[in-house]
Amino acid sequence: MIYSSVILAEILRLANPTETVWITSKSKGHAKELALAFVMTPRFVSKTSINNSTNVIDGWDWQDYTLEKLVRIYFICLISEKDGVDRLNLLFDTAEINEAVALHSALPALKNPTHFLLRATDAVRSNMGSVFESIAFENPYPSLYFSELAWNQMVLKCIFNDKAIHRIYGLEARANQTLANTLSDFAHERWAAGRRVPSQVWRLVPIFMNENLRGDIKKLEQSDNPRDILAAQLVMQEIDQPRSTKEQWKELELPEPIYQA
Amino acid sequence: MCQNPHQKEINPSHFEGLSEEKATANVVDHDFMNYTQGMKFFDPHMHMSSRTTDDYQALADAGVVALIEPAFWLGQPRTGLASFKDYFSSLVGWERFRSSQFGIKHYCTIGLNSKEANNEALAEQVMEILPLFLQKEGVVGVGEIGFDDQTAAEEKYYRAQLELAKEMNLPVQVHTPHRDKKKGTERSMAIALEHGIDPKMVIIDHNNEETVKSVLNQGFYAAFTIYPFTKMGNERMVEIVKEYGPTRIMVNSAADWGISDPLAIPKTAALMKIKGIDLETIRQVTYQNALDAFAQSGQINESDFIHGLEIDQSQKFNGNTVLRGGQAPRINKNSMIIR
Repeated sequence: MIYSSVILAEILRLANPTETVWITSKSKGHAKELALAFVMTPRFVSKTSINNSTNVIDGWDWQDYTLEKLVRIYFICLISEKDGVDRLNLLFDTAEINEAVALHSALPALKNPTHFLLRATDAVRSNMGSVFESIAFENPYPSLYFSELAWNQMVLKCIFNDKAIHRIYGLEARANQTLANTLSDFAHERWAAGRRVPSQVWRLVPIFMNENLRGDIKKLEQSDNPRDILAAQLVMQEIDQPRSTKEQWKELELPEPIYQA
Repeated sequence: MCQNPHQKEINPSHFEGLSEEKATANVVDHDFMNYTQGMKFFDPHMHMSSRTTDDYQALADAGVVALIEPAFWLGQPRTGLASFKDYFSSLVGWERFRSSQFGIKHYCTIGLNSKEANNEALAEQVMEILPLFLQKEGVVGVGEIGFDDQTAAEEKYYRAQLELAKEMNLPVQVHTPHRDKKKGTERSMAIALEHGIDPKMVIIDHNNEETVKSVLNQGFYAAFTIYPFTKMGNERMVEIVKEYGPTRIMVNSAADWGISDPLAIPKTAALMKIKGIDLETIRQVTYQNALDAFAQSGQINESDFIHGLEIDQSQKFNGNTVLRGGQAPRINKNSMIIR
């Protein structure tokens, strides 16, 4: 699937005439020129908000993108379409923060997306908040291509770093027994330290219940935190009536940093 | 005034000079921050890669809102292109992020430093990747480049990078040598002029009493590194500002892996205030002139940092933040208990 034309249509909706001239002239270049255009984009294109959800690929949400970021993604797609893998690797290796964000956000739209699996798992390893989020949030790449191990690592890191997991696309579809068990272990560690885990993470366990997890849900029921009590109720309800609680979890979809416990 | 630590005589009082200054010396408050309340600082030369989060915290507390990290060597020579590439990449990546965690806007200059210009085989490869980095967002100049030993190789790559700066319309941050400084400084300026570079696009760094006059007279910016023992002390700095005024003068801290002081700018500002230098002059030499000089790159927006960095939730390492101070729990360094 060639995505550059549909991305260009969205760009042209927002770009002013000067920006349009620059973008269209650069788009005709070879991979090397496109790579330089990618780097120089902020000098020529504004950071206007996109504010528009498109459904080019399920889970690939541009709502919070800026025009400059979308133009960068467009150039990346063009390089990919011209088989400029070496060029893309150089861009990854030398990326500044905003460039890294654009590169990872573009991954689901590239030719041979699995070729960039190590880039994607490296982004999960990143401690730069926005780089981690560019692969983990509003991005279908992990749900489409990550192994279970890589997927679980991403979800756990998200929880560990107090980021809200509901922004991960494919959370329900990729839930698994190993993740549910590890989550229980993680909660026990936090509890031992007198800390807590965000209530919404318990949405990952209903179809994987075992004795350990039942004990955890009991503990939540007895919590004096109303969010934990609600989470326990939703887990039990989901067990009784599968797929009945999706809307109700929304109430718990917020960041819950541990120091605010 | 004696700045030489090997000199046996005891240093004279910091506040000798005018009789009013001597009077001030008796009542001076030794907490410099009492004199810098409400001031904001822009430090155009800090090697933050060699600094800890404690330093970042202290900078934020002292009013440093933005800084520039020039590319330099790392205390020992690099042996391959990949380590240059990773270093440049960390200046626009990880270090920029780390700084943002403390609400400080981080810019950098990119260049092949004079020491490593002497490894010509490697230098050639570094020159190949420089243009890619120089085009990046927040790269505000070519730097720090210039002379160290003043060898032929150093001159070759200084000239080549001046051409790059000219081509990309970027300011140049020039490192002047520790040894044979006066000649090295003159030579650096002459070469820049020979390449047709506008002197207002060039920041001559690490000046002292011996070099400043010529630098200013030829229209260059003159930067002063407040660095204990080997470069400038801040009392000498005050005297220079008194003599030359604020035009095209800026102060910086270097803040590298040697014994340097990342708070050199706020401390110097406090000393200037105590010594009666007016606030507008202080603002120019500790903030505005650096901003003006490097904003010629088109890569600095004062509105990005003047009121504190915008809080962007996604910029955070994790759910907590230190942006705009006080939003996250701060470590009480005197507490024995660590929670």
